[in-house]
Amino acid sequence: MRAVVTGAASGLGHALTNQLIARGIDVVAIDRVAIQPREHLTAYTADLSDRSAVDMLIAELIELGPLDYIFHNAGISATGNFETIPPTAYGRLMTLNCETPMVMTSRLYQARCLRNGANIVFISSLSHATGYPGAAVYGASKDALAIYAKSITKSLADKNIAVLSVFPGPLRTQHAARHAPRGAKAASRMEPDVLAGKILKALDQKRRVLYPGMAAKIVRITGVLLPQTTTKFMRRIIFEKLDRPVY
Amino acid sequence: MTSPSPSTTLITGATSGTGLALTKKLADTNEDQLVVTGRRDASQCSQDLPAGVDYIQADLASPDAAAEQIALAFEQLGHRKLDRLVLNAGIGFHAPVDAESAQMIRQTLDVNLVAAVLLVHKFAPLLEAARGKVVFIGSVAHGGAGNMPSYAASKAGIAGLARALQSEWQGRIDVQVIHPGPTVTSMHEKAGYEPGRLQRLFFSAEQMADEVAYWMKRDRKSVSVMFAARLRRLVLGRRK
Repeated sequence: MRAVVTGAASGLGHALTNQLIARGIDVVAIDRVAIQPREHLTAYTADLSDRSAVDMLIAELIELGPLDYIFHNAGISATGNFETIPPTAYGRLMTLNCETPMVMTSRLYQARCLRNGANIVFISSLSHATGYPGAAVYGASKDALAIYAKSITKSLADKNIAVLSVFPGPLRTQHAARHAPRGAKAASRMEPDVLAGKILKALDQKRRVLYPGMAAKIVRITGVLLPQTTTKFMRRIIFEKLDRPVY
Repeated sequence: MTSPSPSTTLITGATSGTGLALTKKLADTNEDQLVVTGRRDASQCSQDLPAGVDYIQADLASPDAAAEQIALAFEQLGHRKLDRLVLNAGIGFHAPVDAESAQMIRQTLDVNLVAAVLLVHKFAPLLEAARGKVVFIGSVAHGGAGNMPSYAASKAGIAGLARALQSEWQGRIDVQVIHPGPTVTSMHEKAGYEPGRLQRLFFSAEQMADEVAYWMKRDRKSVSVMFAARLRRLVLGRRK
């Protein structure tokens, strides 16, 4: 069995890679920074916010042969007041967070690169349930990704390919720490290893949607029942505490 | 006594469909200075547009360049503030996941989502100067659509962007999102979709423009123009 993991050098991608290898699955690990190859791990270095790099990578993946899993995990954020972040950062973010996973999915599917019974996992964000003042474009990119995943679920299910959408809250990673308001507590954030375990379990259980952990499940329900209150709460805990733009 | 300076409305994608109908409607009914954008050369569309409307040519398929061009041309027309920004331009391809090419996905996201982000970013200071309003034209497909996945995704992005900016900009710039239901425009043709008899249930571009113009004047943050509006029109006639 073979899996592709994007953003595999750190955080959730790293945790997924390790757990997949522990299950005996070969991993094609993709990241902007070089990853050391080892047994069961083939590494590709590519900047997924660069269209021509993405096209080259897709060609190489097609060459490599059929896949059983794709984990669209790579993502970047841009936190701060919407207007304080330079537009170039927004272009990069949109390409990396939503365009690339969409292009990779459709190209690999059309090239018959996905085996019968394959799984495609999209890492969206809990912000899909809440709105995200303080990271408006990041939130928009994750909403777009979630709805793309939802839109293709039925067509792919007819071909026996399963789609799982994951909506995690903040993780205990370098990435989250960099974007969190100063003084935010890291203790309540989920460990990437724990989330990776929950994702693989959700795949075993053939689930289509995963809000990992009790807090995420509560936020999801609140977001449906009281959308405006939930966004107001996000404004209070994030937007009003922003002390600097980070992109 | 000096008369107050007229308010200014900028509409993207105004050379066909709902954008054109909305431009005509607003030109007929209010005193606003209208500035509109489109992809076509000015010589090709000036006869379609009402007199007194300023036209800026820009192709949103290259979002960075287009946002720069539009902002520059708008400033050269002498405007220092913007009262209403209507982000109407959009494209869509009728292609499920097995048919949608990389190029279709990229173009759809660029025109519908990235260009909207960059234009709102560019015009935020001018909107704030007028205590103005952004009107995003979304789509009822923003909840998902199997036959137009990247289109649905782009409109979900618009809905999410609007939701966040409503919160970030409260008291500074109003933000509204209007999700049109199925409308008869050239987009279906361009998208490769033949609705057949279903088309009788669709809004005409003029009807949809009417609905958009009506909701633009109101404070509702998010509006879906669907079958209830269609039914009301059948019973009560057009909006006043």
